[in-house]
Amino acid sequence: MAALCKVVAGLRTGACVFPKRAIDICKSLYSTDSEETSEGKAVEETQKPAADKVKSGFAAAYEQHTDLQQRQNQTGTTVRLGSTRNEKSFASLLRNSPLMQMGPAKDKMVIGKIFHIIKDDLYIDFGAKFHCVCKRPTVDGEKYQRGSRVRLRLEDLELTSRFLGANTDTTLLEADAFLLGLIESKDAKTKE
Amino acid sequence: MAAGVLTKGLCGFRQPRIVAAGYSCSGPLYATATAVKTLPLQTDSTAVTDKIQNLPLETPDFFHLSELFSLKDLFDARVHLGHKKGCRHRLMEPYLFGSRLGQDIIDLDQTMAHLQSALNFTAHIAYRGGIILFVSRRRQFGHVVESTAGDCGEYAHTRYWQGGLLTNAPIQYGSGVRLPDLIVFLSTLNNVFQQHVGVRDAAKMNIPTVGVVDSNCNPSLVTYPVPGNDDTPAAMELYCRLFKMTINRAKDKRRQMELLQGLSPPGLTQGSS
Repeated sequence: MAALCKVVAGLRTGACVFPKRAIDICKSLYSTDSEETSEGKAVEETQKPAADKVKSGFAAAYEQHTDLQQRQNQTGTTVRLGSTRNEKSFASLLRNSPLMQMGPAKDKMVIGKIFHIIKDDLYIDFGAKFHCVCKRPTVDGEKYQRGSRVRLRLEDLELTSRFLGANTDTTLLEADAFLLGLIESKDAKTKE
Repeated sequence: MAAGVLTKGLCGFRQPRIVAAGYSCSGPLYATATAVKTLPLQTDSTAVTDKIQNLPLETPDFFHLSELFSLKDLFDARVHLGHKKGCRHRLMEPYLFGSRLGQDIIDLDQTMAHLQSALNFTAHIAYRGGIILFVSRRRQFGHVVESTAGDCGEYAHTRYWQGGLLTNAPIQYGSGVRLPDLIVFLSTLNNVFQQHVGVRDAAKMNIPTVGVVDSNCNPSLVTYPVPGNDDTPAAMELYCRLFKMTINRAKDKRRQMELLQGLSPPGLTQGSS
């Protein structure tokens, strides 16, 4: 997350909204950025149990539940559970999304779904902005049909490059991934 | 070309309607002049038409469009994902939440507000019987856009855009062609990362535009820009569904208002909302 804060700080020349957001994001982190926030909160952190400092999973759930409880107490009788779930802010939705939790895309394993096939090219969507295109492997080639779930090793989320003399990057509108293999169809049936 | 057929079709279909209803926005004088040919009650019909036309303008969200979408829906459709930092357009920086490992993230709070105003504007145009043209040059989503336009009774143009389609219309398609009253761009770019010609031409012809602008687009000429992802099928299907529901809702409301005003005598009516 330090990378996010550094890049966001670099954007400060454009708009004044970003510093506020950066501070919000930094404050909501407790897993690895204890060095940045420790200056103001050193005393409180030593008093808290070790579980809160080390692991973000329990701490995140704890904070989420206390927030919900506080909101319920404040709003009183007119509480609809659906609305409290929908009132999650964009920042918290983003932070808890798998794309953010994943980190850099290089060499990450993901599951994708084939949504289009043209002869030997498989167009696989794995939940990011772009799909990736992989060649049909020689092993079990006929099993790769539309709707099959496959395992991928990601290389890049978007293939872009700045060419000489260009103002902006040229993008291929595709992600880059290496196809590892099929997920057995029996597992998919039992899951669904 | 398909475009020629489209505009010719609309020219032939819409003209009787123009004669009957008239452009009430330009004042009651024109409406009375054209209404002489078709409607028997002249002054009553213009007063009723004016009332129908102006009633939605009194409430900020007359068509209750805020219930059509939520932040979670936009998030699940991956509307917040932008291009890489190197592809960013300078004018899109105010709409960005930040950048994560080189990928721009669009601020969905701003997108919600922009989408609400864009859908509201579309609904008002559809309520007043305006022609809406859906434009997208993304070949991947051409079919989705065309079927959306067909479902809500409006028009789409997802093929090659001839240079004089809007600016040279009277010469290319015959005089008296009615141009669209709103153009909705589901992607403001051509394939070669040039802006779609329609954005500039619509601005030249004083046609308001609604456009989904991604982080590599130029939002300056679009009247109602909606910062959002235009590359993922989920996001495009969400936009198409929202526009379709908005337009259908507005048209149904118009029919309902006309029925109500037609049945009860003018002057006594209180439009139900």
